Amino acid sequence: MLNRMLWCIKNMKGRILFLMMMVFTISFMNVYGVQRFPKPEFESGYVQPETLQPSARSAVLATMDVVVLAFALALVSWLVLKKRSRKGVFLTSVFSLAYFGFYRQGCVCSIGAIQNVTLALFDSSYVIPLAAITFFILPLIFTLFFGRTFCAGVCPFGAIQDLVSFRPQKIDPRLNAILGVIPYIYLGLAILYAATGTDFIICRYDPFVGIFRFSATFGMYIFAGTLLVSGIFIARPYCRYLCPYGVLLNWISRFSWLHITITPSNCIQCRLCEDSCPYDAIDMPLIGRNPENRAVTIRKLILICLLVPFFVVLGGWTGSRLHETLAGVNGKVRLAKELLEPLKFADQPETFEIAAYKSSGKPLSLVYAEASQVLRQFYTGSWILGCFIGLVFGIILASRLLTRYRTDYSPNKGACFSCTRCVDYCPVEKNGLKEIQP
Amino acid sequence: MKQKRVLIFALVCLLAGILFMAWDMFFSQPETSVNPYAYEIKALRASDTLLTRYTEVQQIKPVLSEIHAIATGRADRIYVAGEKGVEIYDRDGKLEAEFPIDESARCIQVDRNGLIYLGMQDHLEIYNKEGRRLKQWKTCGEESIITSVAVTDEDIFIADAGSKIVYRYDHSGNLLNRIGEKDPRKKIPGFVIPSPWFDIGIGHDGSLWVVNPGRHSFEKYTSDGELISSWGKATMSMEGFCGCCNPSHFTILSDGSFVTSEKGIERIKVYSPTGVFKCVVATPDSFNEGTKGLDLAVDSTDRILVLDPQRKQVRVFVVK
Repeated sequence: MLNRMLWCIKNMKGRILFLMMMVFTISFMNVYGVQRFPKPEFESGYVQPETLQPSARSAVLATMDVVVLAFALALVSWLVLKKRSRKGVFLTSVFSLAYFGFYRQGCVCSIGAIQNVTLALFDSSYVIPLAAITFFILPLIFTLFFGRTFCAGVCPFGAIQDLVSFRPQKIDPRLNAILGVIPYIYLGLAILYAATGTDFIICRYDPFVGIFRFSATFGMYIFAGTLLVSGIFIARPYCRYLCPYGVLLNWISRFSWLHITITPSNCIQCRLCEDSCPYDAIDMPLIGRNPENRAVTIRKLILICLLVPFFVVLGGWTGSRLHETLAGVNGKVRLAKELLEPLKFADQPETFEIAAYKSSGKPLSLVYAEASQVLRQFYTGSWILGCFIGLVFGIILASRLLTRYRTDYSPNKGACFSCTRCVDYCPVEKNGLKEIQP
Repeated sequence: MKQKRVLIFALVCLLAGILFMAWDMFFSQPETSVNPYAYEIKALRASDTLLTRYTEVQQIKPVLSEIHAIATGRADRIYVAGEKGVEIYDRDGKLEAEFPIDESARCIQVDRNGLIYLGMQDHLEIYNKEGRRLKQWKTCGEESIITSVAVTDEDIFIADAGSKIVYRYDHSGNLLNRIGEKDPRKKIPGFVIPSPWFDIGIGHDGSLWVVNPGRHSFEKYTSDGELISSWGKATMSMEGFCGCCNPSHFTILSDGSFVTSEKGIERIKVYSPTGVFKCVVATPDSFNEGTKGLDLAVDSTDRILVLDPQRKQVRVFVVK
């Protein structure tokens, strides 16, 4: 029998015969399968609501994503630091928008990975995907070596905002400083909510992911729309005034080993680059101002030493006062509130959570115990969040009090996105130093 | 000046976006409060009125505190069994007789001699028309939930939802065989009974029809338990049966057509003897939402009698 089968497979006719036998066998198995439990049918015209989450990536594709990320980071770093090519950076950012944005549908992204990492640190039962760790760490490593090249050409959020940045305007430095606090608050809240297992708010309020997936709530489309409209006149508003990952990159970039410079050689103070940065990330030289005398500087330092701890404590105390409000986002706390104050919610339809609780048979005391545990976590977390925000305020105030003396136009290593726009304005870059020097 | 206005506009847009986030996070109703995957059963309850070819002509209101089962007998008498009692009505709904029983009957059947077979929780009781108990059989099994009885001249079939089996007895109460046990060799799929609704009936050729509710199908067996044929379609549309387990009850018209009743989406329909959907007797609008146990019976003139336990009525439907 076996020989007969082998013979069949060896010649062409035999192969066809073998295939037919296989098809027949499979068909027979299918007929036998009719006896199984019938599958439910949906013929009523009922349409399943579209899910906003993309399906999970296979291991191979997830690995490919990491490889593409590493390659894109290396390419942009090379284009920024070695080639100093705006065109190259722009083209890479378009690729990143297409790949990480529209193809990968913006998930997992480095910005949202903050929450995965936080949750993994606080919840031992949470298994963080390797891709999430890599997407979180790789850009930070590259930033430590080469500045924020991730923002320049790899982040799809930056890329989509860059595409609409037609008429960027300068923002008043004071307003810029005030709005610049928002990412710190957002980062603190994102960590607090991830650490307590409440929610991934960065993902929930990700404005562009809906565009990448062509699927979002009406509110999120409006949010994305307002950001893109404001992005026409305020370059990269999300990156500058919201992005929590930008906070980490900002800190690390300040210590970067190599960082883009406006001029490849010595600055000739031509001032051509002065207005070139749409992100107001060029530090102007402070020539002509008299240095402060020692006594004034010491007084300022003493003031800073008093103010910063004051802001930290004030922030922490304020945060702790708000811990119940902050905890209101947590599902367990919200459920306990609704069960505790049924009259307050009487005019509203019964929530899905209440219905689920009723059918679970869980005792009320357990719900309250869980909620009070979450509240305790939020109390501690809100203290830390408040202290952090107070510290940020203190440092911003301190940085404005202290005067740093610079002689050249240089990119602010923290705020600079390494987009290389300023490079094109530098005459030294264009013509070579010798040609324009008298 | 123009630049400043543009900048202010852009800033307002940006701040509006940030405020939206803050409002949505702290003050709005969470999205999960509305279940987007909630089963939209209301849409399925709608029915095309053109398909309804029956009309309700009469309602009988039994005196029993709870009504569970219905059957018809000689002279189109209507037998209603329920909470510790049986009531017998004439064709026009006039109460002719009633008698008490010790327990609640879950199902009822009447043979050509007028004997009344009552299926209790786990055993069968036989009464004469005067209400005297003639026989009380021993229990079918510890897990038994008797949901239907069918009687022929030779056999008595008992549907046991608890054991997921049909028992065939002779009239002396001897167990002859078990019908419907899963047997791949005989292509018998076994009964899938997620809830205690499991009906049987005798076809005009004397064969046994059994509802396999989990499979949304009817199966035809010989008295020896050989599977002859089956029909049924699991679908959300009117032509078939849906939910975990339907139909819950059925009866057979004089031409061999099946009358079926369903729970979940409460409706009564008529199928041809080969299982082709014919028409609707009563749409979900005719019943209180959540009504279960719409037992059915037909009389000699093919009037369809529907037992409505929620409204405590026997409702009579005739062709329009």
